[in-house]
Amino acid sequence: MSFNRKLLATAALIVILAILPLVVGRDDIINLMFMMFLSVTLAQSWNILGGYAGQVNLGHAAFFGVGTLVARYLWFSGTPIYVAMLVAGLVAVIFALIIGMPTFRLRGAYFAIGTLGVAETVRITVGNVLPIVTALPSNFIVNYDLNLRYYAALVLAVLTVLVTYWLVNSRTGLGIVAVREDEDAGEASGVSALKHKLIALAVSSFFAGVAGGLFAFYHVSYYYQFPFAPNWTFDALMITYIGGVGTLIGPVVGAFFYVTVREWLAVSIVDAHLFVFGAIFICVVLLLPGGLVEAWTKMQRVRLLSRLLRPTPPVKSVVKGRGEQT
Amino acid sequence: MLLTLDDVSKSFGGLMAVRQLSLAVEQGEILGLIGPNGSGKTTAFNLISGFLKPDSGGIKLQGKDITRLSPPKICASGIARTFQMVKPFSHLTALQNVLVGRLYGCSPAKTQAEAREECYRILDFVGLAGKHQILARNLTLVDRKRLELARALAAKPKLLLLDELMAGLNPTETDAAMRLVRSIRDSGITVIMVEHIIKAVLGMCDRVVVISAGEKIAEGSAQEVVNNQKVIEAYLGKPRYA
Repeated sequence: MSFNRKLLATAALIVILAILPLVVGRDDIINLMFMMFLSVTLAQSWNILGGYAGQVNLGHAAFFGVGTLVARYLWFSGTPIYVAMLVAGLVAVIFALIIGMPTFRLRGAYFAIGTLGVAETVRITVGNVLPIVTALPSNFIVNYDLNLRYYAALVLAVLTVLVTYWLVNSRTGLGIVAVREDEDAGEASGVSALKHKLIALAVSSFFAGVAGGLFAFYHVSYYYQFPFAPNWTFDALMITYIGGVGTLIGPVVGAFFYVTVREWLAVSIVDAHLFVFGAIFICVVLLLPGGLVEAWTKMQRVRLLSRLLRPTPPVKSVVKGRGEQT
Repeated sequence: MLLTLDDVSKSFGGLMAVRQLSLAVEQGEILGLIGPNGSGKTTAFNLISGFLKPDSGGIKLQGKDITRLSPPKICASGIARTFQMVKPFSHLTALQNVLVGRLYGCSPAKTQAEAREECYRILDFVGLAGKHQILARNLTLVDRKRLELARALAAKPKLLLLDELMAGLNPTETDAAMRLVRSIRDSGITVIMVEHIIKAVLGMCDRVVVISAGEKIAEGSAQEVVNNQKVIEAYLGKPRYA
């Protein structure tokens, strides 16, 4: 597809998604779509650091969780929710940079384990300090508007993808990818590895924090430590890998696939759906490292190839003739 | 003097990899750095390009102290390098690889469009015309070496460090590489090259420094150096008089 056609298709998709709540009157579908948009945001933000910068971060849930804490607190004390979400993103960035400085000294698997350790520490701390449920005050519940949450989630998802697109096509984006590919060669070419990792971390954690704000805006009641749970990290990671790690469209495709299939499996086989996703994840990593995006491009190529190789009569006769001779 | 090393030493544990090495590189020359395996040539490059910090001694580029700068800062101040084991950005195209050098490097391009134009020229110059869009990991070893050189050139350095650029090339490719390096020098870039291919050293270097066990043992024109008794001993061992 040419760039213009892609742009057109994207615009059409966004318009359809924008009218959806007006035509579909079912709350369950709107809730499902909300989860999809939230997942797109979380996965894409994970992808910025994990996919483009190549730093497998297993502590993403901590940024998300910090976002929920900040946004919930500010919102309940009278700050407009969108301001609260923005601040949630910024606080998540500060938090991430404080964590990032020491953890970026670790490379590869050590970085992954390190971030997981930090996130779990934060989760347990929050669970101990705030072992309670946060619930919307009654006047908030009376005015609860699901469609508003839907649109907020849609806008955030689109914004995350747009910013990622802008980032990866910028000079800084090239530097980030260069550091992923080879840190030494990057540094020798003038790209500061630490600086570019921190930039990727900052953008990544910002959107995770804002997504946390969205979660705080959406959920009526939850345990404070719930958004800190590691499954938020692993959902984002699996979505990104299933869709196509280090690609712009991967996390979007992955989120739609993942959330739909999860919903369907959760209804039919309840908790066993985790096994299914475990299996899918292993298959993708082993057989299809580029995810669904790669599967799609491969299919396109096979189709093109088969069209080129489609035997026309003269070719066929030549092949046959040769076969007869030998 | 473009670059000076002043009594630079570096040891790894008990091993003195570079021992009180002093060097002076003049603007516009091709300096050969040779020596037997393990004599500290690559360590010297790593010290100059900032990947290692010397234990003692100082390194100056055009009079400015760069001893303790980080590799990106050293690159920004005007030194680009290639690696002996080529380090391409594997999942990026040849063009993108070179763009990294052009958009960062020693004097970054102002706009992406401008950078792109220059990168096309550089890729053509090193012999990668028509391969701009190929992923680096799909290039042959020779082409990856060309890419390594192109990326370093794209940084627009004052000083270029070539670490065994010609290792693994056949004679025809070596000749082409020699022509390439000469025209790089003619464009005003000073070159230090670590090289084992003696033909290349004799054919190109204005001056040669020989190091053995981390110490400088000889310095002079290529002809002088290869006839130097110490150098012959360093490579072949002392003659035994039976």
